[in-house]
Amino acid sequence: MSSYSFMRRTVLGVALTLLLGGCATFSKDGGFDSVAQIAEARLGKTVRPVRSSDDARAIDASIKNLLAKPLTADDAVQIALLNNRGLQAGYAELGIAEADLVQAGRLHNPGFDFKHITQGADTIIERTFTMSLVNLIMLPQASRLEQQRFEAVKLQVANQVLRLAADTRKAYFEAVAAQQSVLYAKQVNAAAEAGAELGNRMARVGNWSKLEQDREQVFYADATAAVARAEKESVMAREKLTRLLGLWGDETQFQLPERLPDLPARPLQVKDAEAFAINNRLDIQAARQQTASLASSLGLTRTTRFINVLDLGYVRNTDSGLPRATGYELSLEIPIFDWGSARVARAEAIYMQSVNHLAETAVNARSAVRESYLGYRSAYDLARHYRDNIVPLRKQISDENLLRYNGMLISVFELLADAREQVLSVNGYINALKDYWVAQTDLSAALGGNLPANLSNKE
Amino acid sequence: MTSRRDFLSASGAVLMGAAMVSRVQAASLPEAVTQSDPATMPPLLPSNGRPYNPVVTLNGWSLPWRMKNGWKEFHLVAEPVVREIAPGMKANLWGYNGQSPGPTIEVVEGDKVRIFVTNKLPEHTSVHWHGQILPNGMDGVSGLTQPAIQPGKTFVYEFVARHPGTFMYHPHADEMAQMAMGMMGFWVTHPKNPGFMPVDRDFVFLLNAYDVEPGSYTPKINTMLDFNLWTFNSRAFPGIDPLVVRKGDRVRIRAGNLTMTNHPLHLHGLNFEVTGTDGGWVPKSARWPEVTTDIAVGQMRAIEFVADAPGDWAFHCHKSHHTMNAMGHSVPTMIGVDHKGIAEKITKLVPDYMVMGDKGGSMGDMEMPIPDNTLPMMTGQGQFGPIEMGGMFTVVKVREGLARNDYKDPGWYHQPPGTRAYEWTGEMPAAASAPVKPDATSAAPSGAAQPVFNIKRGGVHEH
Ligand SMILES: [Cu+2]
Repeated sequence: MSSYSFMRRTVLGVALTLLLGGCATFSKDGGFDSVAQIAEARLGKTVRPVRSSDDARAIDASIKNLLAKPLTADDAVQIALLNNRGLQAGYAELGIAEADLVQAGRLHNPGFDFKHITQGADTIIERTFTMSLVNLIMLPQASRLEQQRFEAVKLQVANQVLRLAADTRKAYFEAVAAQQSVLYAKQVNAAAEAGAELGNRMARVGNWSKLEQDREQVFYADATAAVARAEKESVMAREKLTRLLGLWGDETQFQLPERLPDLPARPLQVKDAEAFAINNRLDIQAARQQTASLASSLGLTRTTRFINVLDLGYVRNTDSGLPRATGYELSLEIPIFDWGSARVARAEAIYMQSVNHLAETAVNARSAVRESYLGYRSAYDLARHYRDNIVPLRKQISDENLLRYNGMLISVFELLADAREQVLSVNGYINALKDYWVAQTDLSAALGGNLPANLSNKE
Repeated sequence: MTSRRDFLSASGAVLMGAAMVSRVQAASLPEAVTQSDPATMPPLLPSNGRPYNPVVTLNGWSLPWRMKNGWKEFHLVAEPVVREIAPGMKANLWGYNGQSPGPTIEVVEGDKVRIFVTNKLPEHTSVHWHGQILPNGMDGVSGLTQPAIQPGKTFVYEFVARHPGTFMYHPHADEMAQMAMGMMGFWVTHPKNPGFMPVDRDFVFLLNAYDVEPGSYTPKINTMLDFNLWTFNSRAFPGIDPLVVRKGDRVRIRAGNLTMTNHPLHLHGLNFEVTGTDGGWVPKSARWPEVTTDIAVGQMRAIEFVADAPGDWAFHCHKSHHTMNAMGHSVPTMIGVDHKGIAEKITKLVPDYMVMGDKGGSMGDMEMPIPDNTLPMMTGQGQFGPIEMGGMFTVVKVREGLARNDYKDPGWYHQPPGTRAYEWTGEMPAAASAPVKPDATSAAPSGAAQPVFNIKRGGVHEH
């Protein structure tokens, strides 16, 4: 190596370093702001990474505050978003990706090589100053790739936030419903206990046979088993929620409300659900972003036409059970390029792969929206059916049976059996109501984490 | 609803409106008089034809007729009706001329009788003249002796009432359904000689039964034996009128049984003789003195007594379930069962629950709401408290100095001082006063006072 070449390299290296140095620094938020924005916009919730003991103290304080009273579904989501360690671990991905991005934007450190060779009487001293030329040439492209990866990680983390919110919400409804079911199982058990006790006393004074007595006893025994089963399910549901909330120690004594939120007066009428989902879902945004960045990285700049990827392979499904929404516009347009020469055949294939992937994501999203809306509507209708028909009818039957008991037309055992039936129907309603809230959560997840603003359906 | 109430006014005179008569004569079909009032109507004194001593139909009435060319013409209309079984309960029944049972038909031995039967039911019917000796083609067995009367059609039955006595009429077409719905009526053929076995008061009624689910209105026609309403003329006590008689009257009571079981009718305070059966009058030498006479299914009985004892005398079927209204037949016996602690548990689940039956079946005068259109199981208030009776129960009220045709309820009997059971207020021997309470060992000799699961019996079942 001559000193001439050394000089050339040094000059070039300094120039490039000056040129690229500006875009390769750490951001102030570490990529967290966009995640926080998504959480705020879609969930109305705060997310906060724990980076210091101050952060941890602040989070602890807000959690204590939220745990002071029976949790609402929103409280539960907020606690999970602040406290779930898996999510906090996910935030670290942001830092890693950003570090990679910054790293990619910097030149590798130059190497300095010094050789001192003694060969007989000769002494050869060789000094070499090296810089990675490849690194230098690839630097802009590596930066761009890392930038894309950083953006993708942001979306992934945001998606994790949304998924955790949905999982927490569902676990919350399951836990409240399970806790309520225990109460009802205990009521059934109380009825069975009264019947069994009465049966014993009837047998004792000679009014009942052992067979009849045993029938009441076994019913009581079964009812006791049902209480144990309900309690076990309640513990499981509560623990699942506790895990998602990231709670331990005394914090696990959190209180849940006695009952699920009431069924809303009307179900949501989501008219342009599919269009909303296409614009709102993070998976579609990620796929679209990838397609766009491919276009730029493959040097595809000249637009000749647009295609609507949602027209690709889309078959109208007219017997989905839902009335066809009319009058909504839905498009996800992607430019198609004039490929020109054979040189870009490969680029074309890569790009089209990405376009089709995007189209597939969009088609799946639309299907998921339809499916979850159908599930939501039938859950609503079922819960309403329980509330407006089954439960009142059971109550009416119980009232009528009491009249028959008063008239000595039926016995107290039929009255007790009927009380059990009534309790089971109420429990059936609890389950239907829980299914409704779970379905509402699924619908909102399918729409991209929130419901359209005009459909706010406060629980 | 009543179209011819004036007919049956207190005087008992039959006053057919001239305009109405000419219209129906023109149509050549007698007016179908209807009645919907469930009260006992005064006797229908004959205004034409042969003279006779009319009967009084308990909670019912007798059907007016017209004479035409020597024929006594009646018009029965088979139709759906609403019958008040007792105040507070109505039933959708099928009957004749506005009521179930239909009106009593009274004729005189030797009368040529022509009966028009119009079918306003939704299905075919026929009328069988139970106990009458008549031409085969007039016997009213659909399919066997005549084609059935289809809905909307009118048939004519003609025969001579040859034998005096006590009879009934009812369908012999889909009779299981039609009789379960209340299609029936009484028939009396008076003797040609009004001086034959005369009585001062002659009551008639049918024994019938229905199964009306508490809270419903229409009988369950497929019930075979497990009826819940046992009635005299489709009335259950306290809806059954009293049999009001004047002291010293010779009284006849005729009953026909159209239920599916026998009814031992029992009269308090007076003994009677069975003077008539299905076949006719019983010769004096063959009459049985009785206070209870069992009336088998499909039978008719006439009993007679002289009302020599004033008072309110119970008169009822002696099957105790037949003096109850709707009751639960599978309600377990709660007598002697201690409810301590349990009642509270049950009340948590059934807030309006109240312990019943632990001291017996009596509900006393407890007043609790029961299903719509349902009669309390046992009810009726007397001057000394609840009578606790329903169903086939009424009272024969013997009073001095009533007018000959006065059937008005005279109220409760005032017993002469010193003739009523009274409470002992003297000294009480200690032993005799201890209440007998079944205890575990005597009531459950198998040792059920111990947890019953632990009972082990010896012998082959031991493993
Ligand atoms: Cu009887």
